[in-house]
Amino acid sequence: MKLLLVEDEATLRRTLVDTLRQGGYVVEVAPNFAQAYEKIKLYQYDCVLVDLTLPDGDGLDLVRALKSDGSQAGVLVITARDGLDDRVRGLDLGADDYLPKPFHLSELNARLRAILRRRQFQGQHQIVFRDLLVWPDQAEVLVHGEPLALTRKEYDMLLYFLANPGRVLTKEAIAEHLWGDHVDAADSFDFIYTHLKNLRRKLQEKGGTNYIRTLYGVGYKLSTE
Amino acid sequence: MKLLTATTRYYLLLAAGLFALASGLLYGGVNWALRSEVEEELLDRRLYVTQLVARGQPLPDTLFAYQFDLSRRRRPVGFADTLLPDPLEREMVPYRELTFWLPAGPAGAPQQVTLRKSLVETEELLGVVLAVMLGVLLLLLAGVVGLNRWLAGRIWGPFQSTLAALRTYDLLRHRPLALPTPDIAEFAELNQALNHLSERLVADYENLRQFTENAAHETQTPLAIMQAQLEQLLQAPALLEDEATARLVGDLLTATQRLSRLHQALTLLNRLENHQFAPAQAVPVHLDQVVRDRVALVEPLLQARQLRLRVHIAGAVPARIMHPGLADSLIQNLLQNALKHNRPGGSIDIVLNSDSLEICNTGPAVTGDPARFFERFRKHQAGSDSPGLGLSIVQHICAYYGFSVRYTFAAEASRHTLSVRFE
Repeated sequence: MKLLLVEDEATLRRTLVDTLRQGGYVVEVAPNFAQAYEKIKLYQYDCVLVDLTLPDGDGLDLVRALKSDGSQAGVLVITARDGLDDRVRGLDLGADDYLPKPFHLSELNARLRAILRRRQFQGQHQIVFRDLLVWPDQAEVLVHGEPLALTRKEYDMLLYFLANPGRVLTKEAIAEHLWGDHVDAADSFDFIYTHLKNLRRKLQEKGGTNYIRTLYGVGYKLSTE
Repeated sequence: MKLLTATTRYYLLLAAGLFALASGLLYGGVNWALRSEVEEELLDRRLYVTQLVARGQPLPDTLFAYQFDLSRRRRPVGFADTLLPDPLEREMVPYRELTFWLPAGPAGAPQQVTLRKSLVETEELLGVVLAVMLGVLLLLLAGVVGLNRWLAGRIWGPFQSTLAALRTYDLLRHRPLALPTPDIAEFAELNQALNHLSERLVADYENLRQFTENAAHETQTPLAIMQAQLEQLLQAPALLEDEATARLVGDLLTATQRLSRLHQALTLLNRLENHQFAPAQAVPVHLDQVVRDRVALVEPLLQARQLRLRVHIAGAVPARIMHPGLADSLIQNLLQNALKHNRPGGSIDIVLNSDSLEICNTGPAVTGDPARFFERFRKHQAGSDSPGLGLSIVQHICAYYGFSVRYTFAAEASRHTLSVRFE
C-alpha cells in the first residue's frame, strides 16, 4: 500500500509517518503544495492524505487535481481549519473522508483502512487476524471458521481494534470512534468496558484467544503476539 | 452644490415665476377694473345729460352737479357713507361723501356743500386685487407642495438610495458600500463617509475573521502534535510494564483532548457570533433524519444507563434551510444535555413537528436562574469533564437562525424541557 502524506508541520509529519509505517504502509511525504502536486502528477498512490492549509497553496486544489486526472487514489482530507465548512467542501470535491485536527492516530488508521477497503475492488476483502476472519462487506466474523454473533457496536469496536493491531487505543479514541466526536467521553467509558467484556466473552466462547489487553486507566490493545 | 443652495434655488425660481404671474394679473386686472369703471361713469354722465336735456333743463355749468349738492339744511360735517340710486344700473350704489361749510361769500349766507364720489369703482378694484392675491397665494401653496414632492424625488433621491443601500447592507458579503457621489455636497460627503466607514468595517471584519481562522489553525496544530506524540508515546513498549507512567501519559492525553474540544467549541461560538457561516452552504436539512441519526449513535449509551427514549415525529416535517453541520450540532448538544443531566432509569422524550422541537428529560432539580443555563462555562457539577458550552452553542445556533429556545422545569414530575420554536 503506497500512501502520500501532504503535511507542512514537520513534527506532526514525522509522527504520522512513523505511525503509518508501523501499520505496514509505504509512505512518501510532501511538505508543501508544489512537491505534492509534482508527486501526484508523477506517481500513483493508493491513498493521498492531504492537509488543507499548506504554506504555498490550498490542499483542496490537490483534491481537485486528483479528481480531474481521474486518479483512483483514495483521498483523506486532514485539516486544522474549523471543520464544518471544509468538510462539506472537501467531500463535495470527491474526498473520501475528512479528519479534523487534532485526531487520534488510531482513528486515522481506521479511516484509512475503510477508504482502502472501499477503493480496492479486486483485492482481498477479508481481514485475517490470528484465528479471526472478518468479511467487512457482509459484516461477518468467523472464529476458527465458526460465525460469531456480535452487536453492531461490538462489531464496530472489533473492526477498530483490527485496524490498529498492536497499538494502545485510549478509551477516548474508542468512545469517539463509536459515538462520534463530542460525546462526553467520561459518560461512555463504563459502557466501553461492558462492551469489551461481552466481546471478550463471545470470542472466548468460540475458542478464540483473548487478544485484547487492558492497560489500566489508559485503554486497550489488540495484542499481536 | 450645497443642499441649501439647491433647495433655495428652486424655491426662488418658483417664487419669481409666481410673482411675475401675479404682477401681470394684478396689472391687467386693475387696469380692466379702472377702465370699465371709468366707462361706466362716462355712460352715467351721458344718461344724466340726456335726461336733463329731455326735461328741458339747460346743460349744467359743471358735470359734477349730481355729485355736488348745495344745501341750507344743517347736516353733519365730515366724511360719511351713503347710498344713491345709479340711473344706469338701476340699483343703489355706495357713495362716500364729504360735507363742509362754505363760508359766506359776496353772494350771501354761508352754505353747506356735500361732495360725493362713487365707491363702486374701488369696490371692484378691491375685488380684483383680492382675487389676484388669493389666487397667487393658492398657487404658491400648491407650488410649494408640488415643489417639495418633486425635490424629494430629485434632490433627496441620492439620500433615499443611500438609506436603501444601508438597509440592505450585509457585512458578510465582504464588500464595502461603494455608494456613488451625487451632486449635492452634503450627500456626497455622507456617502463618502459611509463608504469610508464600510471599508473600515470590512477590513476590521476581515482581520477578525482571519485572526479567528489563524488562531484556530495555529492552536489546533500544536494540539494535534501534542496529541499525536502522546499517543505515539503510549505505544512505547516500556510503558506496557510501567503502569504509573502509562497513566500519566494517558491523563496528559485526556487533558489535551479536553483542551482541543474546548477550543473547537469556542471557535464555533465565535464563528456563530460573527456570522461566519456562508449562506451558500445552507441546504435543506431534514431535522427528523438528523434526530434519528443522532439517536442511533447514542442508543447503546441509553441502554447502559437504562434510559427510555421516545421520539415523536409528527407527520412530514418540512426541510429547513440550514448549515448541515450546525443542524447536527444543535441536535447533538440538546441530546447530550438530556443524557448528561438525566438519572439512571429515567426517560428522554423528543417531540418534533413542523414548528417546534422539544427535548424533555427526567433529572434532579437544578438551582439557579434558568436564563443563566445558557451562559458559557455553566456547569451543574463543578468537577464535570465537559466545559459547559453545550447549551450556549444551542442558544447561538438558534439565534443564528432566528429560532427561540426556552427552558422549563416541571417540579412535580422533575422533568426538564428545552423547546426550540422555529419561526
